[in-house]
Amino acid sequence: MHLTRSMRIVALGVASAIALTGCASSGGSTSGSGAAACAPSDGKVELSFTSWIPGIDKVVDLWNAENPNIQVTVQTGPNGNGGTYKNFFNQITAGNAPDLGQIEYDALPNFRVQDGLENIASCANVLDSKSKFIDWTWNQVTFGEDNAVYGIPQDTGPMAMYYRKDLFEKAGIPVPTTWDEYATAAAAIRQQGGYITNFPQNDVNWFAGLVWQANGQWFDSSTGSWKVSLTSPESTKVADYWQNLISGGLVSKVPAWTDEWNNAYNTGSDWTWISAVWGANSISSGAPDTSGDWAVAPMPQWKAGDNAAGNWGGSSTAVLKGSKHPYEAAQFALWLNTSDEALTALNKEANLYPATKAGLSLPVLADGVPFYGDQKIYDVFAKASSQVNPDFTWGPTMTQTYADVADGFGQVLGGTGTLSDALKTGQDKTIAALKAQSIPVVQ
Amino acid sequence: MSRTAAMIVMLVSTVYFLLPVWWLFTSASKTREQFGNTNGLVFGDFNLFQNIGQLFAYNDGIYLRWMLNSVLYAGAGALIGTVISAMCGYALAKYRFPGRELIFNVVLGGVLVPATALALPLFLIFSQVGATNTFWSVFLPSLVNPFGVYLARIYASASVPDELLEAARIDGSGEVRTFFTVARRLMTPALVTIFLFQFVAIWNNFFLPLIMLRDESLFPVTLGLYTWNSQVNQIPEIRTYVIIGAFVSIIPLVIAFLSLQRFWQSGLGSGSLK
Amino acid sequence: MTTAELAESRPVLKPAKPARSARPLVKHKRAILLFLAPFGVLFALFYLLPIGYAVYQSLLVVQRDGTFGPPVEVFGGLTQYVAVFQNEAFWASVGRVLLFGVVQVPVMLGFALVLALLLDSPLVKGKKFFRLAYFVPYAVPGVIAAIMWGYLYSPNLSPFTALTGSFEFLSPQFVLWAIANVVTWVYVGYNMLIIYSSLLAIPSEIYEAAKLDGASQLQIALRIKIPLVVPAITLTAIFSIIGTLQLLAEPQVFRSFTSSVSSTFTPNMAVYATSAVPNVNLAAAMSVVLALATFAMSFAFLKFTQRKADA
Repeated sequence: MHLTRSMRIVALGVASAIALTGCASSGGSTSGSGAAACAPSDGKVELSFTSWIPGIDKVVDLWNAENPNIQVTVQTGPNGNGGTYKNFFNQITAGNAPDLGQIEYDALPNFRVQDGLENIASCANVLDSKSKFIDWTWNQVTFGEDNAVYGIPQDTGPMAMYYRKDLFEKAGIPVPTTWDEYATAAAAIRQQGGYITNFPQNDVNWFAGLVWQANGQWFDSSTGSWKVSLTSPESTKVADYWQNLISGGLVSKVPAWTDEWNNAYNTGSDWTWISAVWGANSISSGAPDTSGDWAVAPMPQWKAGDNAAGNWGGSSTAVLKGSKHPYEAAQFALWLNTSDEALTALNKEANLYPATKAGLSLPVLADGVPFYGDQKIYDVFAKASSQVNPDFTWGPTMTQTYADVADGFGQVLGGTGTLSDALKTGQDKTIAALKAQSIPVVQ
Repeated sequence: MSRTAAMIVMLVSTVYFLLPVWWLFTSASKTREQFGNTNGLVFGDFNLFQNIGQLFAYNDGIYLRWMLNSVLYAGAGALIGTVISAMCGYALAKYRFPGRELIFNVVLGGVLVPATALALPLFLIFSQVGATNTFWSVFLPSLVNPFGVYLARIYASASVPDELLEAARIDGSGEVRTFFTVARRLMTPALVTIFLFQFVAIWNNFFLPLIMLRDESLFPVTLGLYTWNSQVNQIPEIRTYVIIGAFVSIIPLVIAFLSLQRFWQSGLGSGSLK
Repeated sequence: MTTAELAESRPVLKPAKPARSARPLVKHKRAILLFLAPFGVLFALFYLLPIGYAVYQSLLVVQRDGTFGPPVEVFGGLTQYVAVFQNEAFWASVGRVLLFGVVQVPVMLGFALVLALLLDSPLVKGKKFFRLAYFVPYAVPGVIAAIMWGYLYSPNLSPFTALTGSFEFLSPQFVLWAIANVVTWVYVGYNMLIIYSSLLAIPSEIYEAAKLDGASQLQIALRIKIPLVVPAITLTAIFSIIGTLQLLAEPQVFRSFTSSVSSTFTPNMAVYATSAVPNVNLAAAMSVVLALATFAMSFAFLKFTQRKADA
């Protein structure tokens, strides 16, 4: 008796709370996706900008000093999938998002689908900047549409192979130029007691970079609804290749970005890392004892003589839905990502690799790097940058896709299933997630 | 069981409980290189104070700001939270009125609501009034401590005799005054217990601030360390600061517990008398 | 309400019986209102209102047109709840934490009980030191405790590489128990103190007779002390199991040390992962289901204690 009465009251309390919130919840997304007019605001404008790039506040200080009427305040947070995207989504729903946000290319479709981005195509100078940017990055922010720009490309992550030059030389193992040679080298290195690299369970976007290099696609939105193809032949080819290395015990299972992983590089137990340009600093700070022993070569190719590179990471500066000053925000984003002064500072502070064509020949990127035996490593990456397939499409729920594929990869490393099984599961769960959000999917 | 066997159990347990903390201490005192290549349980070069100095200086002293924020959120929050929990628990214990058991049961139910169920809706509600990313958006929800009400009610029934309240009434003391003089004094051990546990809960909380706050200068230390930890990708040297920061962040709690142990130990004891 | 706070919410005591005097009229109305109002208002605003809002959100579904059509929320009835009940990952996570609770809680409380009995016995010297030493881990936030143990488990960086190099503590088969150890490490001292406090509350005359009859310390512990603290242990046990349903911080941190912890390892992580999609409505429905399950357990617990008290 006592219990049922209490339960009834709880239900009552909940019901009245619903009634209260029912009245309070209004607003939300309204305006369509077309480019609205974009006019400068009067007087002094204050913009908020959320990013997780270390030291970006110092870069923004440069802008603030030159633009007393457009002052930008930086807020930092965890990296995108680590919490900042979730905050953005919440804030967009609540209508109080910052004016500008750091968004990686693979997350842009998600924000677009959630109606979280302002189309800044009609803001002055935006469309004219198209030619400044590396072609594929512009496709990422326009989704291939005319008169649509949903962000300004900031940096890219063309991929190459970091390798221990000294160890390869000492062991007399040729530096691999194809994936077949890479597998052969893996076996030879294992004989020496080392590993050629690790298979990173959680870097599913790294894996996507490899699929990108193999000319594969995971998503296609060109037909008016989404096609999911995590299990495409190219994707499966990459999965089978790494599955063989894992099954043969030729790659280590140490999770990336841990001290243990740094340690594996620092002690010479891991010999190579297929990674993006921004990885240069990760090695030099994670494996300080190996300074001078590293070098950078192009990614191994699927066919000898090919010249294809993948891309891992890179982000844009987007104007988030609800900004009252899209014009000023767009001007700031353009300055941040095209001016020599900002690009140099971003490279110095956070090792960002510019998304502009001119940025690739910045003076800071011309010198040899001591950690890599004074090799001019950025020449390798500039070349890789031009070899990235310009048409790669990301899906609208990448956070979920990554998580589901990573769970599957984790099982593989734990000894059950295969990488292609993981992709199949990721495929099914992604389709389910799209349907749950009423996003049209073709099977 | 022999005396020796008993002492062995006690000492092995001591090692189990203290060794990880010892590891954190030695690690926090090492240089970055030594962290990777020396035994975790012995000191390297004793670099603790230099490390702490670097930690406090890093990024314009943001770590100190976080510590200060945590002290504010947890200290002021637990103080006010304890007072309102005590008032509510006292009223539930010492007055008879309709709906009393009901209120108590609803409050008890509140103890069991998952954090994730509240954080997101709380954010949406705060954003309706434009109050996210403020001090208050983390501070106000932290004040509510249903478990504190529960404890306060039990302690009040156990340690505040009705006769004493009647005597105060006869002396002409008002109800509120009686609470803040007579009852508060009798309930002190309980109040310290409630305060400490709420302090720990707010201090350890990072999910609500993660969702509510964008501005780094409002972060509590747990969220700050979490953010640093997530930046280890881009700046691996920051891991050293995470370790040192973790070590420094538990010092205030250890001090609080040690200096107030007289109160909370008798608080726990007096509660179980009932 | 944090995970930590819930985990520590392990009351030993039953609600007090109301005073026995029969007064038909409510006296001191204004004082009562004044005492109840501050907590009541905050509780309504920051507990009931958000719960109501979660229920409201869980009843909505999203609709949109075309590849990039903007989302529109419409009433969808129990659609999200159907999705929750069909979500295998969610139920797998519930099963996982229940298994965790059934194993970890007895181990933790057994450990706490042994330590409390030893502390209460005349066999041990330096009681004050031990009491404090065991309590220190409680001052370490869950996130930081998990980071520390993450390193201690590590095959290369642990100070115990001889052990961790040959046994994988963070393998998929064992990681749940590696987490259990972290939770145990943090909370044994806390639980021990609660049990110890109820042991201290037992009047010493009760032992005297037993001692005169020549009973050993072990017999006194088994026959007299344990039965007297059983009610306290039972209640902490039930609350601890309910607390494990809220597990979030420790497994979340372990994700950076091992590939064995999936993104939906515990129910709260499943809710968090779903809300990050973002699929707020489904996440809200999961939260409500989880909250209802915990409510049901708490009422079962209340009923259980009431029956005990009335018996």
